[in-house]
Amino acid sequence: MAQKPGSKKDSAMSKKAKPVRSKKSAVIGRPVETVETLRLPAVMQQVAYPIEALAPKVRQQTPAVGQRATRPDCRLHGLGQTKYIDDMSFPGMLYCKIKRAGIASALIKKIDVREAEAMPGVMAIITGKDIPVNSYGPSIKDQPVLADDRVFHAGDGVAAVAAVTEQIALEALDKIRVEYEPLTPIFDPVEAMKDSAPKVHPPSSNIYATKLIKKGDVEKGFRESYRIFEDTFTTQMVEHVPLEPHCSIASWDANGRLTIHSTLGRITLGRTDMARTLQLPISRIRMVATIVGGNFGGKNEITQEPALAVLSKMTGRPVKGTFTRTEEFIATTTRHPIIMHYKTGVSKEGKIIARKVRLVLDGGAYCSWSETTLGKACILSPGPYNIENVHSEAFVVYTNKTMTGAMRGFGAPQVCFAYESQMDEIAHALNIDPLEIRLRNAFHEGSASPTGQVLHSVVVKDSLLQAAERYGWKEAR
Amino acid sequence: MTDVTLKINGETRSASVPPETTLLKMLRENFNLTGAKLGCDIGDCGACTVIIDGKSVNSCLMLAGQVDGREVLTIEGLATPDHLHPIQKTFEDCASLQCGFCGPGVIMSAKALLDDNPNPSVVEIRDALAGNLCRCTGYTKMIQAVQEASKVMRSDTVRRLAKTNG
Amino acid sequence: MKKRGRGIACMWYPIGFTVAANPSAAVVKVNEDGTATLLTGTVETGQGSLTVLGQIVAEELGIATDDVHVVSADTDTTPMDTGAIASRTTYVTGNASRLAAEKAKEILFQVAAPMLGVKPEQLEARDRKIQVKNYPQRSIGIGEVANQAQFVMGQPALGSASFNPPTVALDPATGQGKPFATYVYATQIADVDVDDETGEVEVLRIVAAHDCGTAINPMLVEGQIEGGISMGVGFALQEEMLFDKNGKQLNPNLTNYIMPTSLDMPEIEVDIVKNFDPTGPFGAKGVGEPTAVPTAAAIMNAIYDAVGARVYSLPATPERVLAAIKAARAKKLPKPKRKETQKRIAAH
Repeated sequence: MAQKPGSKKDSAMSKKAKPVRSKKSAVIGRPVETVETLRLPAVMQQVAYPIEALAPKVRQQTPAVGQRATRPDCRLHGLGQTKYIDDMSFPGMLYCKIKRAGIASALIKKIDVREAEAMPGVMAIITGKDIPVNSYGPSIKDQPVLADDRVFHAGDGVAAVAAVTEQIALEALDKIRVEYEPLTPIFDPVEAMKDSAPKVHPPSSNIYATKLIKKGDVEKGFRESYRIFEDTFTTQMVEHVPLEPHCSIASWDANGRLTIHSTLGRITLGRTDMARTLQLPISRIRMVATIVGGNFGGKNEITQEPALAVLSKMTGRPVKGTFTRTEEFIATTTRHPIIMHYKTGVSKEGKIIARKVRLVLDGGAYCSWSETTLGKACILSPGPYNIENVHSEAFVVYTNKTMTGAMRGFGAPQVCFAYESQMDEIAHALNIDPLEIRLRNAFHEGSASPTGQVLHSVVVKDSLLQAAERYGWKEAR
Repeated sequence: MTDVTLKINGETRSASVPPETTLLKMLRENFNLTGAKLGCDIGDCGACTVIIDGKSVNSCLMLAGQVDGREVLTIEGLATPDHLHPIQKTFEDCASLQCGFCGPGVIMSAKALLDDNPNPSVVEIRDALAGNLCRCTGYTKMIQAVQEASKVMRSDTVRRLAKTNG
Repeated sequence: MKKRGRGIACMWYPIGFTVAANPSAAVVKVNEDGTATLLTGTVETGQGSLTVLGQIVAEELGIATDDVHVVSADTDTTPMDTGAIASRTTYVTGNASRLAAEKAKEILFQVAAPMLGVKPEQLEARDRKIQVKNYPQRSIGIGEVANQAQFVMGQPALGSASFNPPTVALDPATGQGKPFATYVYATQIADVDVDDETGEVEVLRIVAAHDCGTAINPMLVEGQIEGGISMGVGFALQEEMLFDKNGKQLNPNLTNYIMPTSLDMPEIEVDIVKNFDPTGPFGAKGVGEPTAVPTAAAIMNAIYDAVGARVYSLPATPERVLAAIKAARAKKLPKPKRKETQKRIAAH
C-alpha cells in the first residue's frame, strides 16, 4: 500500500527543537515578555475565517437545473469548519467504550463489572439487561444493543462503560470479566443451510429469508438452447470504510427529553428505533445528524445509541461514543458474500433463452438489511437483458460472523460480477464480440423485467454504445 | 503531565497534557482545532494530517511532547480573514470533497506538496496524496483541484515577483 | 510479462426500496425577498444531495441555486424522510421537494395574478421573476411578489408535500410485480495490465457511461461515478475481510484491509447518458449506488481478455489471478481472442 505520511515523522523529529520565546510583544509599547512569564491560555482563539459572501457565479445562474453548481458544504469541509459529531463536545461530557465479546458463539454465564466500576473516573457500566427493549433491526428485530445471555459473533458488545476520559473507559474494559460457555460456531453459509448445522438463533432456522422470481419455463428454455453455460461465482465480505467512524452523543434535559447527535443517514427511522428500544414517546426524542462523514449503507441503523442514552440517563451527563477503526470492521454491517450459481441457455446467435440463478447470501449474525439485499440481488440477478425464461431463487443464511447489511448496491455488484462474467464467457465461446452480444440481449424501451414490470426510460443500449464510442471499442481491434 | 509550548498557525501557545497525549488529541481537545480528524488513530488514513516545520505528518502518530518548540500548521491556519487558500478554493470549485472528512488532511498534504514542488506532475500528486485515504471521490477531482491550485499559486508568485521587481 | 486487456460490463439498478413504502416529505418556505428555504429530513452523507435538492427547488421557483438554503437532518425541525439510502434521494426526496416548491409557487401566482392582470394559470416563474407565459416582458420580480404575499396579502408562500414511489407488491409464488418505480442503466469499460508471472493486475483506464435521467448537477454526478468506481476497484482487486478459524477478524484495520489509494486509481472518463424520466423531478432518477456496480465485472472481463483466465472468486488478488492463469494453461485453453473456448460448456 501507499506510503504513510507518518513515516516522514522520524526525519522531521530528528532536529533538536529550540525552546520558543516570543521576541516581540503583539501590542506596541508593552515590554517584551517570554512565554515563560506570560502563560497564554491553552484555549485557542477563535480562528478567523474568510466570509465570502459572494457565491460562485454558477450558483447565481438560472435555470438552476443542469448547472455545475458548487457545494456550500464543500467550502466548509475544506476550511476544517464542518462540525462532524466527533468534533462536538458538551460540558461534563463522558466517554463511552464498549467491551466486545471476542468469541463468535457462546452463552454468557457471568459478567463481573465490580473491579471496573470501582475505578476512579468510571461513572457507569451497563449490560444488555439495562436496555429497556434490547433488540432492533430494520425488518427482523434480531439484534441486541448489548448481548443478553448469548453472543452471536465476535464483535458483539457485552458491556458499555461511561468514564470521564476515553482512556479510563478503555482501561475499565480490561477489568470487566465475562465468563462464557463456548458454543459450536458456524461460519460457512452452505453448511449452515443443512438441518444438522448448529442454529445461530435457536430455535429459528438459519435460513432466515428466501426469494423467488419465476417467469416462463426455464427447463423448456434449456431444452431449446443451442448451448448451456454453468458457472459458480463467489464474492467476499467487504466493509464500507467511511472515513468517519460511527459517533454519537446522548444527552437529556430535565423534562426527560433525549437528544441524540449521531452519524446516521436515516434520522426518522433512527428516532423510531430509539423510541422502541428505550420505550419513549417519539415526541421526547430529537435526533440530529448534522453532516455524515461517509455512509455507503453502513450508517443506516442505530448501533450504540440506546446504550449511550441509558448511560447518559444514569449519570445525568452527556455521553459520547466513538467507534475505533477496529469496531468499524467488527461491529458494524458489511457487504454480503454471495455464492452465485448461474445456468444459462443461449441460441447460436447468442440470444439468452433461459437463465436459472441460485444465490446463497452469507447473512452474518443478524438480519439487518439482508431482506432488502436478498430481494434486490434476486430481482437484478438475470441482468439487464430480455430473457423469456427466468428462475431465480435466493437464500440468506445466519452465520456467526459480522452481520451483513446494506452496502452500495444491495447485492447488485455481486450479481453483476456473475452475470457479466458469464456473458463474457458466452461471447467468447460463440465468437461474438462482447459488446455485440450485449446489444443483442439488452432491454429496450417497454421491455418486461424478470418480475414482469414494463420498463420505461431504458437506455442500456445507449450506455453500451456511448461507452464503446468513448473508449474506441471498434477501433481498438 | 507534559508541558508543551509550540507555535500553532503562527501563534505561540502552551498546554499541559498527560504524557500519552497525541498531537492530534491535543489539537482537538486542548486547542479546539477540530479540523484534523481521527479516522484510524494508527497512521493509516491521513485524516489527521498537519504540517510540522514544512513537512506533512500524521498528527495521530506524534506525541504532543514531541512538538514542543516547533511550528505546526493546521487546516485552520490556511485561509486568511480575506481569502480562502488557493487549494481550498480549487477544491470547492472542482467539488473535490464529498463527505469531506478526509478533506482537511488531503488539503494539508497538497499544501506540503505545492510548497515543495510548485509544478507537480499527476504522478507526483498521486504520490503525495497516497497516504490520505478517501472513500467518496476516487481521488479524481482532488488531483484535478491540486493541478488547478498549482497553476493559480504559480501565477500568484509571478505576479508578486513582477510587483517587487517593477 | 505484462499483458493488456479490455473488458466491458453493463448493469441495471432500481431507485428506492423494493415494494416497501419509502416516502419523503419536504417543506419549502419562500422568504419575503424571493429567496427560499427547504426543510428536508434527509441527511447529507457526502453525495451532495442538499445541493441537488436546492437546485430542484430553485428550478421550480425560477430562482438560482444560491437563493435556496437547505435545512436538513434534525428531527425537531425537518419533516420525515426515509433517508440517504437506496439511491433514492434525488428521485424521492427530489420529487417531494419539487412538489412542495410548486405549492409555495401557487401562492405566489395567486398573489401575482391580480398584479399582472391575468389568471394564476397563465403565469410562470423564471429568472427570479413571475411572468406571463409567452409574454416575459410582463413580469414582476419574485421578491416583490413574495413581499406582497407576506406583508400585504398576509399569505406567506409556504408549501409542503410528500412523495412515495409507486410500486406493486410481488406475487409470493412467482415474484411477478412492479417492485420499483424506475431503474437506471450503465456501462463501464476497463483497461488492465496483468502480469502473467506475478498475477498482479493494474487498472489503467475506466470509461463509464451512466444514466441518471436528467443530471441535476453534472459535476456532482461525475463525482459519484468516480467515487463508485474506486469502491468497485477495491471490491474487484483488493478488499476482503478475513477471519480466523474461530471467527475473529484477522484484518480489522486499514493496515491490512487494503482499500484503493490515489496510486491505485485508474484514469476515469465519465459520460452521462442523455435521458429524461417523466416520473422524476425534472426528469431525474439517481446515481449513487449504481456507479459501484459494473466495475468489478468490467475488470474481471479485462483480465480474461488479457491472459485468458477467468476469475470466479473476488477479490482477484495476485494469488487468485495466478491460480486462474495456471488453471487455464493446464486446460490448454487457447487464447480467448475470437476463438471458441471449451471450458464449462456443454452442448445440449
